[in-house]
Amino acid sequence: MAHSVVSASPSLARRDQPFVLRAIGQISTLCGWFAAALIVVSIFITCHMIFVRFVLRQSTIWQTEVVIYMMIATTTIGLAYVQKLRGHVNVDLVPAMLPYGVRRALAYLVLLLTMAVVATIAWYAAHTWYETFDRNWKSSTVWGVRLWIPWLAVPVGFVLYLLQLAADFFALYLRIDEPFGKGRD
Amino acid sequence: MDPLTLGLLVALVTVVVLFSGTSVAVGLLIVSAFFLLVFDGTRSLQMLPEVYFADLNSFAILSIPMFIIMGASIASTRAGGDLFEAIERWMTRVPGGLVVSNLGACALFSAMSGSSPATCAAIGKMGIPEMRRRGYSDEVAAGSIAAGGTLGILIPPSVTMIVYGIATETSIGRLFLAGILPGVLLVGLFMAWTIFSTWRSGAINLLSPRTYSLRERLEVLPRVVPFLVVIAGVLYAMYGGIATPSETAAVGALLCLLMAIIIYRMWQPTALWAVLRDSTRESVMILFIMAAAGVFAYMMSSLFITQSIAEWISQLDVNRWVLMGVINVFLLVAGFFLPPVAVILMTAPILLPILTAAQFDPYWFAVILTINLEIGLITPPVGLNLYVINSIAPEISLKTILKGSMPYVLCMVAAIVILCFVPQIATWLPDVVMGPAI
Amino acid sequence: AELRLSHQFAPNDIRHKVAQMVADDVEAANVDLSIRIFPSSSLFKATEQYQPLSRGQLDMTVLPLSYAGGQRPEYNLTLMPGLVKDHDHAARMNESPFMQALEDIMAEDDVMVLVHGYLAGGFASKEKCITKPEDVKGMTVRAAGKAFEQMLEGAGASISSMPSSEAYSGMQQGILDAMNTSSSSFVSFRLYEQVKCYTPAGDVALWFMYQPLLINKSTFEGLTPEQQQALRDASEKAQAFYLEEAKKEDAASIEPFEKAGVEIARMTPENFEAWRKLAEETSYKAFVEEVPEGQKLLDMAFEVK
Ligand code: NA
Ligand code: NA
Repeated sequence: MAHSVVSASPSLARRDQPFVLRAIGQISTLCGWFAAALIVVSIFITCHMIFVRFVLRQSTIWQTEVVIYMMIATTTIGLAYVQKLRGHVNVDLVPAMLPYGVRRALAYLVLLLTMAVVATIAWYAAHTWYETFDRNWKSSTVWGVRLWIPWLAVPVGFVLYLLQLAADFFALYLRIDEPFGKGRD
Repeated sequence: MDPLTLGLLVALVTVVVLFSGTSVAVGLLIVSAFFLLVFDGTRSLQMLPEVYFADLNSFAILSIPMFIIMGASIASTRAGGDLFEAIERWMTRVPGGLVVSNLGACALFSAMSGSSPATCAAIGKMGIPEMRRRGYSDEVAAGSIAAGGTLGILIPPSVTMIVYGIATETSIGRLFLAGILPGVLLVGLFMAWTIFSTWRSGAINLLSPRTYSLRERLEVLPRVVPFLVVIAGVLYAMYGGIATPSETAAVGALLCLLMAIIIYRMWQPTALWAVLRDSTRESVMILFIMAAAGVFAYMMSSLFITQSIAEWISQLDVNRWVLMGVINVFLLVAGFFLPPVAVILMTAPILLPILTAAQFDPYWFAVILTINLEIGLITPPVGLNLYVINSIAPEISLKTILKGSMPYVLCMVAAIVILCFVPQIATWLPDVVMGPAI
Repeated sequence: AELRLSHQFAPNDIRHKVAQMVADDVEAANVDLSIRIFPSSSLFKATEQYQPLSRGQLDMTVLPLSYAGGQRPEYNLTLMPGLVKDHDHAARMNESPFMQALEDIMAEDDVMVLVHGYLAGGFASKEKCITKPEDVKGMTVRAAGKAFEQMLEGAGASISSMPSSEAYSGMQQGILDAMNTSSSSFVSFRLYEQVKCYTPAGDVALWFMYQPLLINKSTFEGLTPEQQQALRDASEKAQAFYLEEAKKEDAASIEPFEKAGVEIARMTPENFEAWRKLAEETSYKAFVEEVPEGQKLLDMAFEVK
């Protein structure tokens, strides 16, 4: 089981990649830092909440909600980074058994389907984001955060994910990557 | 199209798409988008991001990254090595002793976490590399943790028991108590199988080449103190009335990070970043699959497949044990494709009335249901624990993980059979603690 | 035609029964209309139903309207402390110009009401009984609803915004000292297993929550006149049932608590006035500040005698 549809071929060093692909890769890495930072911050916010409630015995109004939104952002913004690391688990028992040409064709098909569904989600997520922004929807809690803020992570995250997928598509096309991480036998 | 045919069609398409090599999460999204589009029209596509958002919009998911960080910070410092060194020195004469202790650790972490993938990730990060290093086969190392991790939803606290309690208006406290002894039973069966299989395979070489003197055994103990302090801290936060299970996970993550930084001197940014980077990658991967599985469950619910089959079962006019058998098969198949919470929401409200009419105890059934869903966590195509293991130990192939987990699936089936003959294993403890159910 | 109805409640719950009644009667009317119910949040999560409903992606729902208070802040008036005194008052509320104003707002979102209904609730605590504002001072409380949180905080309680799924363990573990929710939730969550004192909704009750059966307006208008009439007839019958059952529910909720040996406290009319005065300074004030036409709506609600 490899970790993605495409996997970097060992024969090509990273600096041989075209500039655009490297730039996209760096954007995805930034996404990873951002996601990691959110996880760390949510540890502290949760512990802060426990402290405020248990030791200070004061109200805790915003912490759970913030942490939830940060987890949504972590997941969605992190997608591109995980794609870059080939960290999205897949089942490659069948592709690994196929002859090279068929495997290559399948990799194109799978990447295109993936991009199609990711683009669809990005598109509709942008709609929902605009709706929350335009109508100034808030969460129905005392804290009442404007919902466009947490929702922003969804279209942005999926677009960045799409960008990294497109980069992977071209890496496959340019034969920088091998389909399903497996070259000719 | 009748629900059964439609269900088979969805199952077929899901298997084909997932085996074509798409990532698991995206594969589920593709299948969901396709069926929603065909049966519900383009307007339903708007629901994709909204259901995605709604599925992640839950505080309970915090426990996933937190437990991964716990596991990662222990595994990447000497804390992990020390722990397993101590275990080895104390359990030299037990065949498969290290696996047995990992299963014990799974049970312990299950008492701290309400989620199975979280339990699996925490123990897997520490246990799998150690087991492999000490000569256990990939199969045993991966399979035991994949299976042991499923205990997270049986041993309290449990996210799925809470959902069952709300959906069926049963007592959550009683459900938690009902899960304890069956959890112990399952751990016992897992351990018994492990000891038996290691002994049978003649893997005597897995026993330590030497025995340790009492002094050697004692001198290793101080080194596991930091780990024990962290565990004690987490258990105290939870059972001492300080934090809920999901919040406790963050306490655990903080304590483990502090332990790694202060006691094990992991203060170089590169070392810390390595822990964070791996944890982020694994958390995002798992949370994305969970959200996608939620979208898939929405599609299934929307097409009313699962509910129709449950309704069909509820109208069967058969002997109560035949009914129980049919329900078990149904839950097992549903578990192949759907995450535990979705199965409960879609089926429990339909099945419970007929089960109580057939004189089955709802708390006992919750345990049977949970064990079925545990099996679902380690069966393809949607088996979250399999993918967790695959992510934290990429060098072990899915086939190997699957092969390793199969004997444990049989243990779970055995547990279901035992529970059918001796339902008191589930009902005794709640009756003693809380009095007979009303 | 087939309509899809989603809600968060278990099949034993009164709100499911209301939905089921409407579904059964419509089916029996033989107008080629059926309603498929998705109970227990098996299609949409509790708080995620209003949006799909207003878009017509979901046809019907039984929804505590204040869940959509983030989208329509006016809806927060449907869970406001002390606004409704008892079930008959609630029934008059349903027929008032105040409710008409809310229905006008719903119509802007393409949503209309089929069955009106209020449910009452109370307090349960692990320590001393809660009847008056001073009682909650220093307690950690999880309240159902924004306005109640504001009022309780004004009374000196610490508010914990714990998700409802965690509230049970929160009570069990002693993280929470008290909870405020509906009579039926107290029973279905089996809080009598854990608390020392229960203050049910009685002759007066502070906590009333409007939980109507809603339908997408365009969907409704797209039905044939016969189908619409069948729905209206079924809804009228269900509304009467809802009111009767809502009244019974409060009394019925006391029994399991008494059986479990939990102390039962009663809120007096004087207590009620003290709470309402506090609410005026906290929740009402916050509401009027947040909502442009807030004062006008609040006055309309108070005009219902
Ligand atoms: Na657990
Ligand atoms: Na499965």
